[in-house]
Amino acid sequence: MRRVTLPLRPDWVEQVERLGFAFHTIDGEIYWDESAAFAFTLEEIERDIEAPTEAIEQLCFAFIEKALDSEEILTRLAIPAEHWDFIRSSWQRGERNLYGRLDLAYDGRGPAKLLEYNADTPTALFESSVVQWDWLEQAMARGAIPKGCDQFNSLHERLIAAFQGLREPSPYRLHLSCVQGSPEDKGTVDYLADCAVQAGLDARFTYIEELGLLTDGRFCDGANQPIETLFKLYPWEWMFRESYGKALAGSGCQFIEPPWKAILSNKGLLACLWEMEPGHPNLLPAFFEGDPRCATLSPRHVRKPLYSREGANVTLMERGRVLDSDDGPYGAEGHVLQDAATNLLSTEGKYAVLGSWLVASQACGLCVREDASPITKNTSRFLPHYIEP
Amino acid sequence: MKRSSQIGLAAAGVLLVATVWSMTSEDPQENLVYDSLGDCRAAGQLTAQQCETAFSEATAARLKDAPKFQSQTACETQYGANGCSSATIGGAQYFIPALAGFMLARGLSGGQQAQPLMPPTASACPPGSTLPECQQARSSSSGSSGSSSSYGSNRSRAYSTTSGRSITAAFAGGSRGGSVSTTSVSSRGGFGSTARSFSSHSSS
Repeated sequence: MRRVTLPLRPDWVEQVERLGFAFHTIDGEIYWDESAAFAFTLEEIERDIEAPTEAIEQLCFAFIEKALDSEEILTRLAIPAEHWDFIRSSWQRGERNLYGRLDLAYDGRGPAKLLEYNADTPTALFESSVVQWDWLEQAMARGAIPKGCDQFNSLHERLIAAFQGLREPSPYRLHLSCVQGSPEDKGTVDYLADCAVQAGLDARFTYIEELGLLTDGRFCDGANQPIETLFKLYPWEWMFRESYGKALAGSGCQFIEPPWKAILSNKGLLACLWEMEPGHPNLLPAFFEGDPRCATLSPRHVRKPLYSREGANVTLMERGRVLDSDDGPYGAEGHVLQDAATNLLSTEGKYAVLGSWLVASQACGLCVREDASPITKNTSRFLPHYIEP
Repeated sequence: MKRSSQIGLAAAGVLLVATVWSMTSEDPQENLVYDSLGDCRAAGQLTAQQCETAFSEATAARLKDAPKFQSQTACETQYGANGCSSATIGGAQYFIPALAGFMLARGLSGGQQAQPLMPPTASACPPGSTLPECQQARSSSSGSSGSSSSYGSNRSRAYSTTSGRSITAAFAGGSRGGSVSTTSVSSRGGFGSTARSFSSHSSS
C-alpha cells in the first residue's frame, strides 16, 4: 500500500458531477480528493482486507447469537429492553442485510485492525461504488496510472443483486428514507434507489420525518401509501427511542438494515469481540469503560461513545492526557476504550483509514478516507484507490 | 477482476434501464364497494355469482346488525331523509337504515363476508353538508335497484357501517365499482427527532 500523488483531471468537477455526485465539496471544503490515490497489490487486497473482512463478519454473526441470549450483553450495549424481542425475531426470521462498512487501520505491513463497524447507516457509498470506479477508467485512459490496473469495487453489481434477494417474492415495493437537510445522506439514498430500480423494484423515496402511522399499525409514506419494506438511513438506536419506536414491532414492515444490525453498529461490539477472541490478529484490545482490564490497555488509547457517528465525541488519550478529540452530542450511554491503532498509514501529517465494504455480508469494495488527525471525522476527504497490475 | 463490469446510473442517464417494474396500486387491505347488485355486475371485477353472494350476505347482515328504530323519524334523524326503510324482524316492525351499498375485501380470501353499507350518519354528513361525498350519498337512491347518477368522472361517496364507522369510497372515472381503504393515517412525524436535536451529525 502506498500513496501516489497524481495530477487532478482538469475538468474533474464536471466529470464527477456528470455522474450525479453533488457533494464533492462539503461546506466549502474539498471532500472528493483526487490529488493522490492509494495503490495496493492484489495480495494486499485479498489477504489483508477481503479475507479479514469476511472473517470479522462471521465473528460478528457468532456474537449476535451470543448477545441475543444474554440480557447482560444487551444491557451493556444500551439497547432498550422493550426492543429485544423485536431484534431477536428479526434475526430468527433470517432477515437479510444489505450493506455495511468496516473501518480498518492498515499500512501494508501486518494485519489490518478493526477500528469500528458501521453496520447500520454507512455513507460514502456512491463515491466508493461509482465515482472512484469512473476515476479509475479515466486515470488509465489518460495514462496517469498504468493500463491494466484494477480496483476492489464490485459494489454496484452486488447492490443490485442484493436488492433482488432481500425479500421474497421479488420484485417488491421498497421505500427508501433519510433525514431532511443532509445532501450526503440524500445522495447515498438516491444512489441506492437507483440500484433498486435496476434490480426491478418499485422504489419510492420518503423523508424519515414524513413517515406516518396508519390505524392498522403499518407505517405509511408522505402520500399515505403503506410501507412494506423500508430502507432507512437512520440509526436504529434513534428509532428505538423516538415516539414511533413502540410502533416498530407491530408495523409488519421489513427494515433494511434489519433490526439485528443494532447489535453491531454499537461501539460496545469492539469490547465484546475482543472478549470472544482475545488476541485475534484483526482486532485491537478493547474494554468497556470501568472494566478493570482497561488498565492493561496501551497508554495510548481511544475513548469512544457506544453510539457515535463521524468521529463525534471520540477522544485519543496518551497516558491520561487528551491528544485529540472531536466534540459532539454522544456519550450518554457509556464508552469503550480501545488501544490506538499503530498501523494507520500516515503521509505528510495525514492519516488514512480504510473502509472495507460488505454487501449482503460479502466483502466487495474499498474506500480510503484521509484526515489531518488520527480520528476520522466528517471533515475527512475521500481518495480513490487502485490495484496495481 | 475485482470490480463491477458495468455501471448503469438510471438517474444520471449513464445507462438507461428499459423496463421499470411497477407494482399495481392495489392495496391488499383495500375493499371493493358497490352501490347495487347491478353495479357489481356492471363493474366486471367479480363474477355475477360472486356479486349475488356478496349482495345476499350484505342484505342478511343488514337485517341482523343494523341499528333498529321504533319510528321512521328517529331513524331519519340519524341517517337523513329517505335514508331508512321499514323491516319486520322477529315479528316486530322496525325502521332501519337503508342498504346504500355493500363492501367486500378485494381478493375474497380469508372467507370474510360482504358487509352492508348504509347512508352516512348525521355526524359524518350533517344536513346541508357541501362535502362531495355527502352530497353524493344524499342524492342517489340505492339498493338492489340502484340507479346512481353520473359515472363519468371521479367521485366519492360516504357511507356508514353497521358498527357506526363512517367510510368514504372512491370511484374512479366511469367505474361503477368503488374502493375504500380500511385504514387511515392516525399520526405522522414520529421519527426524526434525534436528528433534529443532533442537527450537525447524522450518518457515518
